[in-house]
Amino acid sequence: MRRKTAAGIIGWTVVLISSLVMLVPFLTTLFNSLKTYKEYTAVPPKWIPETFQWSNYSEVLKLGNFGAYTMNSFIVALLSVAGALLSCSLVGYAFARLRFPLKNALFVMVLGTMMIPPVVIIIPHFIIFNELNLLDTLTPLWVIEWLAQPFGIFLMRQAFMNIPKEYEESAKMEGCNPFQIYWRVCMPMALPTLATLAIFTFMGKWNEILAPVIYLTTNEKYTLPIGILSLGGQWFGNEQYMVAAALLSLLPILAVFLFAEKYFVQNHVSSGIK
Amino acid sequence: MKTKKWSIALLAVILATVLALAGCGGGGSTEPTGSTDAGEGQGAEGTGSEPSGQTEPSGQNEQVEITLGYYSDAKSDAKMKELIEKFKAKHPNITVKTQSAPYGQFFQKLDTQIAAGQAPDVWLSDGVYVMKYAERGAVRELTDWIENDLNKDDYYGLDFNKDAEGRYWAVPQGIQVGVLFYNKDLFDKAQVPYPTEDWTWEDLKETGAKLTVDAAGKTAEQDGFDSNNVNQFGLTFFSITEGWFPVLKSYGGGVLDETLTKSIVNSPENKQAVEWMVDGMKRGIITDPVDLKSFQSAMAVFPSGSAAMRIGIYSRVLAANEAGLNYDVTLLPKGPDGKRFSPVIANSWVINAKSDDKKAQAAWEWIKFWATEDEVQREWAALGEAVPVKKSVAQSDVFLTQSDKPANRKAFLDSLEFAGTLDSNAVWEEWVGKFNEHAQRAFLGDTTVDEALAAADKDIQAILDTFYQK
Repeated sequence: MRRKTAAGIIGWTVVLISSLVMLVPFLTTLFNSLKTYKEYTAVPPKWIPETFQWSNYSEVLKLGNFGAYTMNSFIVALLSVAGALLSCSLVGYAFARLRFPLKNALFVMVLGTMMIPPVVIIIPHFIIFNELNLLDTLTPLWVIEWLAQPFGIFLMRQAFMNIPKEYEESAKMEGCNPFQIYWRVCMPMALPTLATLAIFTFMGKWNEILAPVIYLTTNEKYTLPIGILSLGGQWFGNEQYMVAAALLSLLPILAVFLFAEKYFVQNHVSSGIK
Repeated sequence: MKTKKWSIALLAVILATVLALAGCGGGGSTEPTGSTDAGEGQGAEGTGSEPSGQTEPSGQNEQVEITLGYYSDAKSDAKMKELIEKFKAKHPNITVKTQSAPYGQFFQKLDTQIAAGQAPDVWLSDGVYVMKYAERGAVRELTDWIENDLNKDDYYGLDFNKDAEGRYWAVPQGIQVGVLFYNKDLFDKAQVPYPTEDWTWEDLKETGAKLTVDAAGKTAEQDGFDSNNVNQFGLTFFSITEGWFPVLKSYGGGVLDETLTKSIVNSPENKQAVEWMVDGMKRGIITDPVDLKSFQSAMAVFPSGSAAMRIGIYSRVLAANEAGLNYDVTLLPKGPDGKRFSPVIANSWVINAKSDDKKAQAAWEWIKFWATEDEVQREWAALGEAVPVKKSVAQSDVFLTQSDKPANRKAFLDSLEFAGTLDSNAVWEEWVGKFNEHAQRAFLGDTTVDEALAAADKDIQAILDTFYQK
């Protein structure tokens, strides 16, 4: 009994300390977003502002086109997620289950493309999208995700490979064709991985900065990250506004995570076979 | 089993080829487009700009569309759009499409656009980048147009965009010039007289010592002062413009010779200047690179009231005013021989070398509109970001009484009398980085001043040679 309490105390202490480690930066951000410029730059820093400048938030909504930035970010992120889930699962399924010549060679090549730094291909991409007349539109930001990116392919292939073959065999006996097996049998069982891929893609696109900077030129078409940057003054930070805007832009990510979280813990795969 | 081994070997070969191709492809694809970062050596011959003054002015009724690129924040963006509307009303045949972005992102995008041949027809360049574009053939030579259309005596800073051969590449949009900012409250508290125009850098350090206070409340002049635990510095000191460059110059030294292709770093004058800096940092009077790290940014030290003085360009007025500081400005101190130097950055309009004559002509109309129209100059001055380019506006009340702080706004105009650029050339960013690196070692006491200067000299010359000696 005593041992149990000791373990409990240690456990609680660890949890408490680590949650403090997580919470303090968040609280600092929150307080920073409620400061005046003077308080923000004060040395030594004041943790808690004298009066909370809630007006910083309304100022953010007034400055720039915050509504448009949020909308654009949503469009890009959601279309990207849809594209990534569909294309990566299709390709990943083929690599995991279908038989075709040079399958493994192709797969290694796909993985090989992950080694190319994105900065290297940005100019060729820019030229391609220019030829297609797609500069200064949101399309270049999400359309790439519909062409199955290597990381997603890898993730989905591993997920499909872990699904026991017996499911497929029985589906086949029931008369399913390969597409039906993929769509009706394997996809539902890969839900946790799909959720993971969705979260990665959503967060990646939500926070992406290089591509929007390169492709977008009109303020109304900006996504949130560059929209937030454009709130900063050129000659002095306006940092308090940027921090407030960053916190606002965090909310949707939080919602997505809470919504998708249950898929992390759920696991259908191993439960079906006795 | 055997086949499996073979297929693995085959795979390895394919993978290696793919990677190699990917590597080459990435590098190669930028070259034919005349990229700014890879395409060195295009040099002056590749500018593609004919003696541009010869072009016939486009007929009034012919429609032209130009793209105008500039960096901005929300406030300056709105003002710029307003001015563009006025321009369009005056030139109904010219349509203007704008591209704007925050400063850092603007230049990131611009390099990609230049590489892909998609840069705006006319864009606002940071003053220090004009030569980078000019010497790589990305912008049009403007010498003839300037000679024909602008009266040089009416403007500040046209010569700041002149290269060693006397060619002009840009027209200033707004001028940044360095002066000495001082916090009056901190001077009053220490009962020390304000800086004067007769100060030398030694005077600055001597007074700075009285204004440097450690955690225990002792000043740098008193016994037991702890230079490792300073709460208030005498002088903020940061990188080139608001750090070493004006000091080197007023000591009679410098970084490049007048051809801007040869390093003159390793000189006794520079040694004397750097020793002044190192001594100040060792005594805690001047911020060293580590001190700066404890602030939100190097820019925040003075507005936060943690330093009594700073070397600052005009736009620093905005942050100081926003922070509600009680301060004023005066001329930068003199060198030991009485030499004066003030660093200047003339942010400027440049015209794309790839734009056809009609568009270039329309772009020139915009530049002329910007420089010559009093109204434009006045409106832009009201933003308080830069010293107006047109002398008549800069010397009027519009500029001189625009804000009540700093009171001595005339100091900015007076400083232009002995102002000089930051030796900006095609590889400016690279050599500034190298100098900072070596200077930092000396500032932190990791190496002697002699060693730092010798090493900087060698490295900077190597950078210059890579670009200029093809």
